[in-house]
Amino acid sequence: MRNNRRLLGWLDERTGLKKIWETLFARKIPESKGSVAWFYTLGSACLFVFVVQVITGVLLAMNYVPSPDHAYDSVRFIDKQVFLGHFLRGLHKWGATFMVVVVLLHMLRVYFMGAYKYPREVTWMMGVVILLLVMAFSFTGYLLPWDQKAYWATAVGANIAGQTPVVGSHVAKILKGGEEMGVATLTRFYALHVLVLPILTALLVGIHLFLVVWHGISEPPEKTNRQIESN
Amino acid sequence: MSAWHEEYLKRYAQLKERGRSFFPYAVFKDVIVSFLLLCVLSALAYFVGAELGDLADPTDTTYNPRPEWYFMFLFQVLKLFPGRLEAVAAVVLPVLVVLFLFSLPLIDRGRERHPSRRPLLTGIALMTIIAWGFLTWKGYTSPLTNPIVEKDPLVLAGHRLYQELKCSYCHSIGGQGGLVGPELDKVVGDQTEEWLGKHFRDPQALSPGTVMPKLNLLGDEITILVAYMKSLGSGPFTEEAAKLFNENCTTCHRIGKEGGDVGPNLSAIGSVRSKSYIKSYIEDPSRANNSSSMPAYKGQLTDIQIEDVARYLASLKGNK
Amino acid sequence: MDGSSDNTTRFSRRHFLSWIITTVGAVIAAVLGSTAIGYFISPAFQRKEENWVDLGPIGTFPKGNPTKVEFVQRMRDAWVTTERRSSAWVLTSDGENYIVFDPRCTHLGCPYHWDEEKKQFLCPCHTAVFDVGGGVVSGPPPRPLDRYQNKIVDDRLYVFPKPTQVKT
Repeated sequence: MRNNRRLLGWLDERTGLKKIWETLFARKIPESKGSVAWFYTLGSACLFVFVVQVITGVLLAMNYVPSPDHAYDSVRFIDKQVFLGHFLRGLHKWGATFMVVVVLLHMLRVYFMGAYKYPREVTWMMGVVILLLVMAFSFTGYLLPWDQKAYWATAVGANIAGQTPVVGSHVAKILKGGEEMGVATLTRFYALHVLVLPILTALLVGIHLFLVVWHGISEPPEKTNRQIESN
Repeated sequence: MSAWHEEYLKRYAQLKERGRSFFPYAVFKDVIVSFLLLCVLSALAYFVGAELGDLADPTDTTYNPRPEWYFMFLFQVLKLFPGRLEAVAAVVLPVLVVLFLFSLPLIDRGRERHPSRRPLLTGIALMTIIAWGFLTWKGYTSPLTNPIVEKDPLVLAGHRLYQELKCSYCHSIGGQGGLVGPELDKVVGDQTEEWLGKHFRDPQALSPGTVMPKLNLLGDEITILVAYMKSLGSGPFTEEAAKLFNENCTTCHRIGKEGGDVGPNLSAIGSVRSKSYIKSYIEDPSRANNSSSMPAYKGQLTDIQIEDVARYLASLKGNK
Repeated sequence: MDGSSDNTTRFSRRHFLSWIITTVGAVIAAVLGSTAIGYFISPAFQRKEENWVDLGPIGTFPKGNPTKVEFVQRMRDAWVTTERRSSAWVLTSDGENYIVFDPRCTHLGCPYHWDEEKKQFLCPCHTAVFDVGGGVVSGPPPRPLDRYQNKIVDDRLYVFPKPTQVKT
């Protein structure tokens, strides 16, 4: 016990641990009554699912090959041969679905409570960008198993992007990494899915969370605007 | 800084002062929710899992993918916008929605936060949720989005036999195979099952002079080959076909749960009529049926459109 | 500095330094950014690869009679190359102008051959006959033999192995 405290003291002196703890966790937040408080868990639920996706994703990447002649077989291998592989892939797939659901619910909570208002405008904007990143994750990840559904859903997606006025055909080609879908599409999507998007998402989630702590979490809205209570 | 901003910050500081610590009161709830999520996730991962379909086949242009459920509404919206307007639904609308969301805090800058004090925005959101739910439900109940049916065992067996017999030395399907014989996916839709059966029994009898050899197939083998041939449908059709059908035919005809009952139900038309019959019927019904009250569509639709719709209808086998 | 310098020099020094920081920063961002963006969007400006196939020096084709030429066609998808053996019939009368026929009969795609005695193309599948210019003489074919585009570069014959139909 005494040793523990000494160790903590030693660490605190060198890292400011105590201050960090106080800022992040021991901070006070406005009270929300009853069931409303549970709505405030949606944000942390997003973070939780993101962490699940990162862990399962990293593990899946250990057995996956992003090349049309190996992708499908490597996914099959994960499914059939690797210990817990099927379960892990199931977690990642359902985690992706949950990600979309929880992020949207979180957005609805903030929307209906008007929590995007002053001074939290930028927090909301970062949130919208994170929503787009989640969509991009979903789109790029869908192709990776390289089965029929993956291939053709991506083909449809690329066609939809190709309908953008003026720059459509260029956008479609950039997505596909060339004139036709193939080798370059898969490597491109893989790089986006496992490198670009996670880095961007981690960065934006970091900013988002910083802003949440900086401004403090919004209080539940009231029907009438109460005045400041004079002490 | 406008007046209420300052006031808000002061009031928030007061609320915060009177509030409780984030740890452990809020974190407790967060952990409970995360744990419940993990339970549901694990159950889904373990009992449902992630499916892995057939290997991607870039030459199989008849495959019609279903989008993930949360994109189903977009799929459904696309059907409401004909032809050139499709770009509006596919690209312009989503971009506008995202722009609206992004700039929401700049649009709605007032002090009111309670949903009942912001009726317009609350209304918009509720309407959007309802519309999204409705379109998603429509997407799943309407068979038009995806007429491709699950492969049945006969078809799979037929496909294996096709490979064993090395049919692809002379014939091609989806552009793969030899060029001596006809491209099967383009021509079999024109033939009835009966014709195909006889043809496999003795090619010379039906097509004198053909170089196709007599294969001495068993009855069962002919059955599965015919099933496989019929599954190839009548050549690829576009998404436009379902849309054209919706615009022109659903007043009288029914496919699955949608459409009128003035004319015959077409849910399984592909298993009784060949594509060429359907095409000719759409062009001018009086050729085959003098008492038909259906209008002739030749001239109404272009030849390509009629071909498209005929191929689409020929692909409907009713086992949905 | 030792703090004795007056405000103007200190200001202009600050000003100068931040100007340098901004400029150098902008250059770094431009170099890295343009490389990244250029690499990423390069497929948009990729030209569709034209698969012209080299059939060899023009001197090797006899004049008057069509010659069957075998070649290997390479299909490329990024770094994966698949090879397809293929052939074509080359016809020239003067060694300068060439006609290259697709090797498949326009009826059902059977490979045909040149009959030296009759000076005609014969297709064994359904006894189709074409003349030396690819026109239908008899039999079921719906149109003359399909052709490949060709060009001569540095005295070598190149073809673009995509059949184009000839109007009757």
